[in-house]
Amino acid sequence: MNARPVIADEPVLLPPQTVWLLLGGFLGAVLLNAHHTALWCLPLALAAVAWRARNLRKAPRLPARYLRIGVAGLLTLAVLVGFHTLNGVEAGSSLLVAMATLKLTETVRRRDWLIVLGAALFLLLAACLDRQALWLLPLYAAELWLLCGALYALGAGADAPPAAAMLRRSALSLAWALPFALLLFLFVPRLSGSFWAIPQPDQAFTGLGDEMSPGSISQLTQSGDAALRVRFDGALPPPAERYWRGPVLHDFDGYTWRRRRVDLGRAPVLQFHGPAYDYEITLEPNQHNILIALELPQGVPDTLPNAYPTFDYQLVAPAPVSRAVSYRLQSYLQHRTDEPLSAAARRLDLQLPPGRNPRSVELAHSLRAGADGDRAYIDAVLDYLRHGDFSYTLEPPLLNFDSVDDLLFRTREGFCGHYASAFVMLMRAGGVPARVVTGYLGGIWNRYGEYLYVTQSDAHAWAEVWLDGRGWVRIDPTAVVAPGRLTEELEDLLPAAATGHRRLLDSVWIVNAVQAWQGLNAWWQDEFIGFNFARQLGLLGLLGIRNHDLEALALLLAAGAGIWLAAIAWGLRPRAQPGAEDGLSRSWRALERKLRRLAAPRAAYECPTDYAARVGRAHPELSATLAALARRYARLRYGPAASAAQLEQFRRAVRLLRPRAG
Amino acid sequence: MRSSRQSRFLSEPRAALAAALARWARARQGDDLPPVALQARRIYILPTASGAAAAALLFVMLLAGMNYDNSLALMLCFMLCGVTLVSMHECHGMLSGLMLLRAEVDNTFAGQLGELQLYFENAQTRVRAGLLVRSPGCVPSRFHMSPGGTQMVRLAFQAGARGRQRIERLELSSSAPLGLFRAWTWLHLPLEAIVYPAPAGARPLPARGGNELRGAWRSRVSGDEEWAWLRPLQDGDPPRSVAWKSYARGAPLLVAHYDAPAGARRVLDFTRLQGLSLEQRLSQLTQWVLDCERLGETYSVRLPQQSLPPGHGIAHQRACLEALGLYRQ
Repeated sequence: MNARPVIADEPVLLPPQTVWLLLGGFLGAVLLNAHHTALWCLPLALAAVAWRARNLRKAPRLPARYLRIGVAGLLTLAVLVGFHTLNGVEAGSSLLVAMATLKLTETVRRRDWLIVLGAALFLLLAACLDRQALWLLPLYAAELWLLCGALYALGAGADAPPAAAMLRRSALSLAWALPFALLLFLFVPRLSGSFWAIPQPDQAFTGLGDEMSPGSISQLTQSGDAALRVRFDGALPPPAERYWRGPVLHDFDGYTWRRRRVDLGRAPVLQFHGPAYDYEITLEPNQHNILIALELPQGVPDTLPNAYPTFDYQLVAPAPVSRAVSYRLQSYLQHRTDEPLSAAARRLDLQLPPGRNPRSVELAHSLRAGADGDRAYIDAVLDYLRHGDFSYTLEPPLLNFDSVDDLLFRTREGFCGHYASAFVMLMRAGGVPARVVTGYLGGIWNRYGEYLYVTQSDAHAWAEVWLDGRGWVRIDPTAVVAPGRLTEELEDLLPAAATGHRRLLDSVWIVNAVQAWQGLNAWWQDEFIGFNFARQLGLLGLLGIRNHDLEALALLLAAGAGIWLAAIAWGLRPRAQPGAEDGLSRSWRALERKLRRLAAPRAAYECPTDYAARVGRAHPELSATLAALARRYARLRYGPAASAAQLEQFRRAVRLLRPRAG
Repeated sequence: MRSSRQSRFLSEPRAALAAALARWARARQGDDLPPVALQARRIYILPTASGAAAAALLFVMLLAGMNYDNSLALMLCFMLCGVTLVSMHECHGMLSGLMLLRAEVDNTFAGQLGELQLYFENAQTRVRAGLLVRSPGCVPSRFHMSPGGTQMVRLAFQAGARGRQRIERLELSSSAPLGLFRAWTWLHLPLEAIVYPAPAGARPLPARGGNELRGAWRSRVSGDEEWAWLRPLQDGDPPRSVAWKSYARGAPLLVAHYDAPAGARRVLDFTRLQGLSLEQRLSQLTQWVLDCERLGETYSVRLPQQSLPPGHGIAHQRACLEALGLYRQ
């Protein structure tokens, strides 16, 4: 008899396997957050888990109450001191680890364990908020599986089945939950809004910055991090024209170029010609709020209505791009304008620091004197760079304060940033308005994801000069010094030693594997992580729903949830226990059913004969019949093989039985 | 301590609400006559306190996911919502399809514990965990059922005053598998116990046959009694009545059955118990019935306007005790 009195929320002694599951789940959640929580979090949690595991088979003795409150206060203070806040993912998860660890030392009741489990689930959420890389997905899924298993084990209480059975149940439950979760994922309106302020993480992103010094771009090219991905609707622009335009730099102090944040009003209106390119860019997080585009884009993306164009044709997002963002644009590679350059803009792009780079200024004056007009002057400067024994290197020697003088007359070795800087300086000194444009050049076609993959190593700098009656013209002085830069991979231009580790990638299958993985990552970033309200509405369009609004989403959600609930009710419906039941057994069970109202059902230990005798004693009028039926059953079951006719006869005999409840 | 504090809080409105709900369910479901199959429409389900806490947690997760505009966090939240709903179905399934084959209640004496027996059958492949049967005035009983099994569940109840005692309502519930939901059903079974008067009183047994006086009973096993025949041992036979000697000789367990000579019966007469109140008289008669039965004597009970024929054995004892229990009720 397994009935026992009920005790509401008494201390439970959970089976060791349940405690292991719970501890494992908690530790997993702490580990997934170890990279961004306070340094003391992981050792603290490890110590608490080890201590609790030592007390597996008994309820642990609690530390004194005042001690626990004191430690809780101390840990809160430690988080406050470490992060200067309790808000945000890092501080929040550190605090959560601290409090859950304390709770772990007093897990006596089922409720205590539930709180620890809740904290672990929240820690998993914090990990998801912090990092969404594809390679972490299996880890997150495994942790969720573990925590659900722990939840099932905890629910089963003192007589929980083995951990493996709980994990099987958890897997089954998660498998059932997945369609529902996807449904909610697709159709719960993504009304993104800030319910509370999020402190911006002061993470350093690699990428183009607001300024460019000699060497800053070549540093960037050491990084293989993704910069952006571009999907084209139609044909791709030719490889030599894949200039991804980023921050435009105007201010020069003789060494460093800087962005100008003042607005000089309207940009000259452009007339575009040539083929149009429609494309969607997914921009990785970076330090500035410039939205990278192909050459000069037209208009503002629909998905970023708050973005605006500036006087130098940059697209500026209202806030720094702190997370991957996608937007659609249209660009033409050829453009011109008949408008004159405004006086302010001309002044901005002609200014030079007085007294700096004197030899370069002298050179500019002499070249200008021999040239007839702006175009001829540009050609003369490019010729100078082409024939001046300049070389292209990823590791240029350090330049001194007058960087352009040093480059042109001493080192003669440089990277794109050096030449763009020198060229623009020479232009300005010669009276041609010019500016430095930083961005990316090229990109690798990923055939699995069908997109152009641009990494930080594609970072580039070039120049734009103003020609009256023509407008801004892109000129890439690096192309003159190292003509291959436009069409070949960067590595091919550089000494093997500098790029030795990248040569590994020459093996075809490694390239394929890397590309496939990148393609998968891109899909993950675009379709899953980047799923938003706009994409939801797009999905409605795909489903053929006209009115793209919240109502349609709600209807779809309700319909889908209804279908899922019906499916799950069907999937979890009661199923008859299959037994090795032959006709004879069925007949005997029919007999037992008939007698159910007369006497207690046949117990597991009772054979049919005993059962018939017992019922017969209680109901003497049936005694003889039942005894005969039981004898016959035993003979058919255990005697010589019964014929079909005999079985049928038995079935009819049972049917004839008409017991009346007394 | 906590639970008692909780139960005092708003206890009156809660009791009123519970009573109203009980009336509603009774009117909705009607009376149950075993076998009762627990169909979905009579199983109710609500979140528990843990379930409410889980809902709050999920809501905060949803807010966090929306606040950070984070797809992965939202997916986690939605997966947990799904698991919660799956557990709701599983909880409902703990009861759904269960069969109550038979329910019996034992008669008992006033002030003592009685017992009811419920026979459940689980004809399905699922394990039914965390089942709990309870009823007001009963000691709750927990059990679980393996696939395709039957199970008898005993429930002790506290008997009140003599007379008929109905077990109005049983509640069968389960909060498995996660404890986030609690599914329950109410069973209104025809369970009625007859509560016998509490045996009490020290008056000596009345003399046999009214003429032959025997001061004290003699031990049966002394062997100087004459018995007419032996019958097999049945449930409820007192161990003293077993013919141990014949058992020792290799016979099965037998009970000596006396054919008492005419006039050798004891008449347990209500009217002869002067100087006692009604209930005291009934208690004394109950005590005598038990004594006689233990001694294997033949006896008859006489109540005003009611007289039971002489006899002995389980059925006779039961008839006598029921008559005493129901006298003037």
